[in-house]
Amino acid sequence: MSTTSPSVVLAAGLALLALVPGDAAARIRVVASITDLASIASSVGGDQVEAFAIARPNTDVHRVEVLPSYMVRVARADLYLEVGLGLDPWADGIIDGSRNVKLQVLDCSRDITPLEKPTQVNASMGDVHPFGNPHYWLDPRNGAIVAQEIAAELGRLDPAHAGAYAARAETFAKEAAACRARGQQMLASLPARALFTYHSSWVYFSHAFGLDIVGTAEPFPGIPPTAKHLAELVRIAKERKVPLLLQETYFSDDAGKFLARQTGLRMVKVAPSCQSPQAGSYLAHIEEVARLVSGASVAPGAEPRVKP
Amino acid sequence: MCRRVLPTAILVLLAALGPVPSRAGPVNPDISILGQPCMRWTNDTFDASAKRVTFDQGEVEMVFDAYLNPYAKGYFVTSLAADGFSLEEGYFTLLRGLPGNLQVKGGKYRVGFGKLNPMHPHTVPFADRPRVLAAYLPGEESFDETGVSVSERIPLPGTSSLTASGGWLQGDTFRIPRGPSSATNDPLLANAETGDRPSEARPAFVGNLSGFGQIGDRSGYELSLSAAGGTNNVAAGTRTYVYDAAAKLKLWTAPNSYLLVQAEVLELDRQNAEWDSAAVRYASTTVRPVGGYAYADYNFSPRYDAGLSYERYQQPTADQIWDQAFGAFVGLSLMEETTSFRLDWSHFMPDAPPGAAERPKAVDTVTLRVIFSMGPHKAHQF
Repeated sequence: MSTTSPSVVLAAGLALLALVPGDAAARIRVVASITDLASIASSVGGDQVEAFAIARPNTDVHRVEVLPSYMVRVARADLYLEVGLGLDPWADGIIDGSRNVKLQVLDCSRDITPLEKPTQVNASMGDVHPFGNPHYWLDPRNGAIVAQEIAAELGRLDPAHAGAYAARAETFAKEAAACRARGQQMLASLPARALFTYHSSWVYFSHAFGLDIVGTAEPFPGIPPTAKHLAELVRIAKERKVPLLLQETYFSDDAGKFLARQTGLRMVKVAPSCQSPQAGSYLAHIEEVARLVSGASVAPGAEPRVKP
Repeated sequence: MCRRVLPTAILVLLAALGPVPSRAGPVNPDISILGQPCMRWTNDTFDASAKRVTFDQGEVEMVFDAYLNPYAKGYFVTSLAADGFSLEEGYFTLLRGLPGNLQVKGGKYRVGFGKLNPMHPHTVPFADRPRVLAAYLPGEESFDETGVSVSERIPLPGTSSLTASGGWLQGDTFRIPRGPSSATNDPLLANAETGDRPSEARPAFVGNLSGFGQIGDRSGYELSLSAAGGTNNVAAGTRTYVYDAAAKLKLWTAPNSYLLVQAEVLELDRQNAEWDSAAVRYASTTVRPVGGYAYADYNFSPRYDAGLSYERYQQPTADQIWDQAFGAFVGLSLMEETTSFRLDWSHFMPDAPPGAAERPKAVDTVTLRVIFSMGPHKAHQF
C-alpha cells in the first residue's frame, strides 16, 4: 500500500495556491442593481474593484426576477449598490437571500435630488414612485454624485486606497461634465427641443440636456398606451412639431410606429442602461443616447461605443 | 359573533390605513390585500350546482410584511373567506448573522415541500392546485404547519445554488380521523372524543434539498427533493410519509416572453389505522400510491400567458386506481399586475373502481378567476 508523503501534499497545495492570482483575492467585490452603477464603481475603483450588475441593460429594471444565482454572487460580495427611490425593491430579496452579514449596502440615490417627487400617491396615478422619479443615473451630473458616494464607501472598506478612490471620483466628475458638454453640443442641432418618451424614465436625461418632454406614450406610468391617449399625442405632435419619441428597447413598437405614421416623428429605441459594468461604459452610453436623439450619424469607420 | 366582528374590525382598520403610502414606513409594515372572486361551471353530477354558472367570493388574502430589525423579517398572511377568518401564515425569518450563514424560520407557514406547496394560489396560472397534491399532502388547502425550519446554502463552484433545509413541525396536519369500527371494544366507541388521543401532538419532520442552475443571462432550472413524515394516529402509532421530486425550467425566449415547464412526482407511504377487535389492539394497512403533474406555461408578453397541464396519480385507497386530468389555461393582466383574469378548463377522468361495470363520466370544469391587489404585493406569477 502506497502512502503519499506530507511534503508532496504541501508542495501540491502551494502550487495550487500559486495559480490563484494574488490581486483577485484582494479586490473589493461590488454587485450593483444596474450596469450604470457597476460601471461607475469600476471607474472609481480601478484595479482594486471587481464589479458585476444584476439587471441586463435591455431589461426593465422595474421587473427583475430574483434568481438564486444572484444571491450566490452577492454572498461573495463586499458592497451592494442599490438604485433606490423604489426602483429596485427586488434587491432586498437578493441581499436577504445572500445571507452575507459582512455586506455593505449603499443606496446610491442618497445624495440625489429627485425630480417629480409627488405630494400624494395612489394607484389611480399609475406606477408612480412615492420618493420621486428613480431614473436619475441618466443625468451625468448625478453620475458624478454617485461616484462620490461610491468613493466614500470604498474608502471605508479599503482605507489604504481611499485617496485613490477620491481622486478617481474627481476625475470621473470632470469626464461627466465633459460628456454633458459634448451631448449638449450634439443636441444643439435639433430643430425643436420637444420630444415624447414612452415611459417617464428620460426626465433626468432631458433635464441634463435641455430637452422638453411634452408627452409620454403611456397615459400613466406603467399603463400601456390607449387609442384615446395616442390620438391626443398626435394632436400635440402636430401642434408642437415634436420630432421624436425616445423609448426603451423592451417596450412594444406599436405606439411608436403609429405616431411615426401619423406625424412623421422619428422613433429612437435605446437601452436605458449601459452595455457593461466596465469603466467608461456609463458615460459612453449617455453620449450615445445624446447622439441618437440628435440624429447625428456615426463618423465613417467609427464604431458606436455603446450598442443601443 | 366574534367571527363576524373580527373581520369587520380588521377591514375598518385597513380602510383607515388606506391613505398611507403602500411601502413600509418607519412603523408600518407593507400592507397588501388581494381579492380572488371567481365564476365556475361544472358538469360534475356530485355538485349541487352542476351545469349552472356559480359565483364565489373567493378568498381575500391580507399580507403584512416588514423587517423586524437588520437581521430578521416578519410576514403574516390572513384569509377572509365564506367559512370565516383564519391565519394562513405568520412567521419570522432570521436572515443573516447566524453561525454558518444559517437561516431560521419559525411560526406558521406553508411548508417548503416540493415546488408548488409553498406558493399561494394567486401566484399559479391555473385555478386549482393539482389533485395529486390534495390527495397526498397533509392539510386541507395546503401543507401548512406551525414549526421551525433551518436552511443552509451548500457552497458550489460558479453561481449554481444548492440549499438544504430541515424542519421540525407540530404535526397537526398529518392527523387522520378514524371512523369507529363495529367492534364493541373499539376505544372510539367508548369515547369518540378521546379514544384515539386526537389532542396529543406528535412532531413531524420535513427535509428539502433544492438546486438552481442559471442558463444564459436570465433562464434557469431548479431541481428539488423533499421528504416529510408524521404521525396520523397517535393511539395506533401509524405514520404518513410523503416523498417528492420536482423540476422547473424557465426559458426566456425573448426580452418579454418566457416558457415555464414544471413537474413533480410524489410517492405517499401511509399506514391507515384500524382496530383489531380479536386481538384488542390497533392494526394498520399500508397504501403506497404514486403520481405526479406537469404543466407548461408560455408568457408570450408581459401581460398574457397560455398553458397546458396534465396529471396522473393513484388514489390513496386499497385498490390504488389511476385518475388523470388534462387542463388548459389562459391569463391576462390588465394594467401591470394589479388586476388579472385567469380562465381555466379542467377535464378530470376518474378511473373505474374494481368490479365497476363502466368507467365514471369525465368531469369538465371551467373557472374564471379575477385577482385584484391593493398594495405592493401584486397578482404576480412566480
